[in-house]
Amino acid sequence: MKKITALTLSIILLILLSGCGGEENAQGAGTADDPVKLTVWHNWTGQDAKSIAMRKLLDDFRTAHSEIELEDEPLPTDGLKTRLRTAAAADEMPDLFVMWPDAMTKEFVKGDLIQPINEFLDSKPEWKNNFIPNALDGYTVNEQIYSVPMNLAPSSLLFYNQAIFDQYKVKVPETWEELMKAIDTFNQNKVIPIALGNKANWVAQSTIFSTIGDRVTGTDWFLKAAEQNGASFTDPQFVQALTVMQDLGKANAFQSGFDSIDETQMMQLYFQGKSAMVINGGWALANLVNNAPAEVLDQTHVTILPPVPGGKGEAQSTAGVVGTGMGLNKKLEGKQKEAALQLLYALSGPEGQQATLDSSTLVSYKLELDKSKAHPLFVELYDLIQKTKISPVYDSKLSSAAVEVTNNGLQELMMGGNPQDIAAKIQSAQAGALGK
Amino acid sequence: MNAMSSRKFVMFGLAPALLIYGLFVFVPVVWSAYYGFFNWSGFGDKQYIGLANYTEIIHDSTFWRSLKNNIIFVLAAVFGQVPIALALAVILHKNTWMQRFLRSAIFLPMVMSTVVIGMVWQYIYHPQIGILNFLLDAVGLSGWKLNWLSDSGIAIYSLVPPLIWSFVGLYLIIFSSALQNIPGEIHDAAELDGAIGWRRLAYISLPIIWTTVQVAIVLCISGSLKSFDLVYIMTRGGPAHATELLATYMYNSTFTSYRYGYGSAISTMIVLISLVLIGTSQWLTSRKSRS
Repeated sequence: MKKITALTLSIILLILLSGCGGEENAQGAGTADDPVKLTVWHNWTGQDAKSIAMRKLLDDFRTAHSEIELEDEPLPTDGLKTRLRTAAAADEMPDLFVMWPDAMTKEFVKGDLIQPINEFLDSKPEWKNNFIPNALDGYTVNEQIYSVPMNLAPSSLLFYNQAIFDQYKVKVPETWEELMKAIDTFNQNKVIPIALGNKANWVAQSTIFSTIGDRVTGTDWFLKAAEQNGASFTDPQFVQALTVMQDLGKANAFQSGFDSIDETQMMQLYFQGKSAMVINGGWALANLVNNAPAEVLDQTHVTILPPVPGGKGEAQSTAGVVGTGMGLNKKLEGKQKEAALQLLYALSGPEGQQATLDSSTLVSYKLELDKSKAHPLFVELYDLIQKTKISPVYDSKLSSAAVEVTNNGLQELMMGGNPQDIAAKIQSAQAGALGK
Repeated sequence: MNAMSSRKFVMFGLAPALLIYGLFVFVPVVWSAYYGFFNWSGFGDKQYIGLANYTEIIHDSTFWRSLKNNIIFVLAAVFGQVPIALALAVILHKNTWMQRFLRSAIFLPMVMSTVVIGMVWQYIYHPQIGILNFLLDAVGLSGWKLNWLSDSGIAIYSLVPPLIWSFVGLYLIIFSSALQNIPGEIHDAAELDGAIGWRRLAYISLPIIWTTVQVAIVLCISGSLKSFDLVYIMTRGGPAHATELLATYMYNSTFTSYRYGYGSAISTMIVLISLVLIGTSQWLTSRKSRS
């Protein structure tokens, strides 16, 4: 009996010890100098043209640089955001990773997790100077530039089905009044005016309210309020913006039960021809081109929301962000940093930007579109964006906590909540996050 | 082997499990209680703020709403799952082909992933193409049609049927095996004394399996306190926190608002509330067994 006990125990001990030992070995290999090893986290997981193009860039880099051992880990967008935060908390960030401008970049800089790429950018002026105006702002903290955008994401575009508009003799709205009239006519004919899927509650905020907010309050006011510097979310203009949003809901602009379906189901309603319009970001275009039935796709056009009467914002503008960029881990130095910068250039340099544009994704970089190759809807979008100013999306400028309060507040608003109370909640969340 | 060495053996045998339990359950609980005293976004500087997170929780209406929703879940589980499972176990106690098939069919949701269950019920409740509203139309009850998951007043109750449906099979199996373990002689004796049908159920079968029922209730309470996945899949706690549970609120505060300190404080509150509830139920059952 005793012998068996001793044997069992020693086996357990052996397993435990060997388990620990294995881990140490793996870590030892990670810090070895030769060959250079790079870990990359990104969100190019799908079968859409952009993801495929980006993965191809990674593969090309791998072939061209046999001395670099590239270990890439694709994660879905939401998963990547959460994972980055968790890794940041544990101080185990990958070497190079897809990150978002503004709020996330600022938080990473504050956490001392990423390093600036100014020197590298300055060494290639023909690259640096070709970005569109303000493209690098979202990645700039205290004059230091931490990344460059790999695309451009207008988050608020109005896609509409011309056939449905023609059928009920409705004009594509250019003024707010025309929009309300169109909503009314569609409702009378039992067509959903605007499809909305707000279960993941960022959708209404990012695709609709960011633009309405900007139209009513103007960009300057919003930026001041976001910094809690001379403006507050309890100001009458913001309450007014919330009221405009609420009135859209009251006019039944969206189908009933929009809080229980997600963005995919929202696009389904549009694909099935059940709704005349859908408001979604630039990323929806690839989805439309790949998945919408031909009779809907051929009739689909793209525009922006009409101006709100009495609003202080610019009419020819829509909410959006410069796209994601590659963040560079603070700990990198020497050969590893060199390799990481090369990869960053491969992904977001001129060739990377061209590959992105060729995959029907807008870029924040001055490039001519080859209109003979691109899908007509993308050409339409490209032309629209050339003459449209991009205003800030709420979730890119507000703190994470205030974004969450805004998203929930908008759901509450559409269920009949009091705009003043909701404004006060957003104000207190943003002030709390900034410590004011 | 004498008592001393056998105790040593027990200690040795338990050590690995205790070590793992301590490392992965106990230490994190203490750790997160510690984080609860900080204003922290997950990385960067932690700012010690004392009990501020806890006082905020006390004044946070969303927290109390989550607690209320959690209690609705616990009640629905205890008064929904257990009686339904018990009734089904009594009806389906024979080992015929048909009854075995029915038992398996009822057990089926248990082996399905919660994601699948959530998706299925989401389409049942779908406001435009949902089968539930379609059925109501078909039987002429169009007035009863509702926005099941997006009306903040009823959304939490709409989550109760999928919750009951997905777990009833587990308790059915537990109760079935308990009923089958009752020796045949007892039933024979009861029959001789004239106890058949309802009488036999109320005075013989139920008292014998009562301890199993108690265990099932404890499982129910602890299981529904931990509920997270179904709600996260179906509503993400929305609309506007209407279906938030303690666990989803903790998750959203930590990983959506990035308030790790506040999220940690909420998880500490969850631990305290669970301890109180489990303590109460332990006290109630032990009091009953003594009397």
